[in-house]
Amino acid sequence: MANFNAVHPEIKVKVQYLDYASGDDQVTTAIEAKTTPDIVMEGPERLVANWGAAGKMLDISDLWADTKDDIIAASPAVEAACKNGEGIYYEYPLCMTTHCMVINYNDFEAAGALQYLDEATHTWTTEGFLNALDALNAAGYQPTAVVYCGGQGGDQGTRALVTNLYSGQFTNADHTAYTMTSEENIKALTLLQTLVNEGKLDADPGIVAGDEIALFCNSTISIGFCWNASAAVSNKASLADDVKVFPMAFPSDDGVPELQGGIWGFGLFDNGDEAKAAAAKTFVKFVCDDPSQAAASVYASGFFPTRASLGDVYAGTDKAENGDYAIFMPFLGDYYQVTPNWAAQRTEWWNLLQRVFAGGDVAAEAAVYEANSNK
Amino acid sequence: MQKTAVQPRQSVAMMQSRRRENIAGYLFMAPSLLFFLGFVVFPMVMCLVYSFTDYTMTSFSFSGFANYQRMFQDAIFGKALWNTIILVLISVPVTCFFSLWAASIISKLHDRTTSFFRCVFYLPVVTGSVAVTVISRNMNWLGDASTALGCIITILLTTSVGQPIVLYVSALNNVDQSLVEAASVDGATNLQTFWRIKWPQIMPTTLYILVITTINSFQCFALIQLLTSGGPNHATETIMYYIYYNAFKLQSYGYGSAMGIILALIIAAFSALQFKVAQTDNG
Repeated sequence: MANFNAVHPEIKVKVQYLDYASGDDQVTTAIEAKTTPDIVMEGPERLVANWGAAGKMLDISDLWADTKDDIIAASPAVEAACKNGEGIYYEYPLCMTTHCMVINYNDFEAAGALQYLDEATHTWTTEGFLNALDALNAAGYQPTAVVYCGGQGGDQGTRALVTNLYSGQFTNADHTAYTMTSEENIKALTLLQTLVNEGKLDADPGIVAGDEIALFCNSTISIGFCWNASAAVSNKASLADDVKVFPMAFPSDDGVPELQGGIWGFGLFDNGDEAKAAAAKTFVKFVCDDPSQAAASVYASGFFPTRASLGDVYAGTDKAENGDYAIFMPFLGDYYQVTPNWAAQRTEWWNLLQRVFAGGDVAAEAAVYEANSNK
Repeated sequence: MQKTAVQPRQSVAMMQSRRRENIAGYLFMAPSLLFFLGFVVFPMVMCLVYSFTDYTMTSFSFSGFANYQRMFQDAIFGKALWNTIILVLISVPVTCFFSLWAASIISKLHDRTTSFFRCVFYLPVVTGSVAVTVISRNMNWLGDASTALGCIITILLTTSVGQPIVLYVSALNNVDQSLVEAASVDGATNLQTFWRIKWPQIMPTTLYILVITTINSFQCFALIQLLTSGGPNHATETIMYYIYYNAFKLQSYGYGSAMGIILALIIAAFSALQFKVAQTDNG
């Protein structure tokens, strides 16, 4: 903020931080009370698919004029996710990441399970994952992992686990419907149900991702399904002595994962004040593109730049290990979070997992999920 | 004649004096009345209006009774209503009975000991739901659909009994001791003394506790939001949480308002019933 005000003292910016638990509610309240901020930092699922679709956001296509190619060079998926079906941009992206999973390298080494993963590419096949679970269980590392489903927190992990096991898709290609009843997804859910029933894997409807991460960090479990570069930094201090973090892609039958992405950027609420909108655009441009600021902005996020020209912003810094997570960026999969009814789907998702792990018929429960989500 | 000439003058003066008193009374009430109208009556009226609309983030149109029809076809609303009623039917009597029992023991203790126990029981109220839920998150039963609601009720009790115990201790201390002693001299047993002497005198407190506990139980929200989000598989879904979910997560403001109206009517019916029963007991 100081950097911005040094260049633009005529523009005053007040920042308010929202947390994941109540941020949505605060924005919803602000929208209905017509007290929205000029700028909001979020992802396409809200900026484009929710508030943009509801006509609450400004068209910020002009911001893209000189950076579109640079952003596409970093990831075409980012550019596609930031606009609606008519090509109107509601998000100006700053950073991105791929959500991955994590293993305790020490446990895998002791259990002789390292042979089942590709350490160079941080990938493994579904078969390798199953063999690793067997090895960990045989070596007494129980519980191996917990499929958390107590709420929507960190649900990107459980979604990626299910869709990758047999290369299923979470939605159809044009992002108009959820496809959990596909053969691949039913097979994956059935496999997880079987693993839980056999005691090779745990499922817990009482915990969410934050609790699962804590279990991984304190060495209770050997595998975590909710991890990324930012989590690695924020949980560093809470790692038990015998935990050696080794990030992994989600296992897939063909060994080529499709990871769930996170794209964060800025959107502008339509508050009917052109002067404020112009000032907001100046701020957003400064944070994202100013040569003196852009890399620092991405660095502060702990994620990766959405502009190819910025390169590795962590090289030679005290967050150099964040750069290791860039290995997953080529596996960035379809950004399906822009599918309609996303908020309702998220609740349906963890309820589906709860029903499946409580012994429900997988096909029938997936059909219920799909019917409720595709309303 | 003289009499009749003076009387109207006196009554006019009295009327003026009464009017002045009334105006002064209304002026004193005005600040509270404005807040009551602005923050209670107006939102209630708006809620009633919205309940007849298809009000979302993108639309606002009159929809008649569509929200109410949808509500009674919504299986999750049915589940939430059932859970809420179970929660109220268990937590209200248990809270009242436990509070009265605890207060009757505490009130007989030494002053300092009484104060200590009042603090102990009131502590969960002061620390708030968040602190209580942080401790309660480790309860594995919350993840089991068959035990989760029982768990929630148990946790709710810890935060509900504090205020009733404090109120009952005060009420029991205010019971006319001369009547208790007279009953004792007449040979009444402890149970008879309680039912014939103490119970009628603490009835206003009991009524207040019943009504407040009922309303709080019907509006159980924070525990659900922080602990289970209504799960597992809607086993702990309550009407309040479902209203919040529809209004804030799905932005179905009209549907949420309709559920709010139904909840308000149910609470009003329960409260009226409690007033009626308590009046009969008193009568």
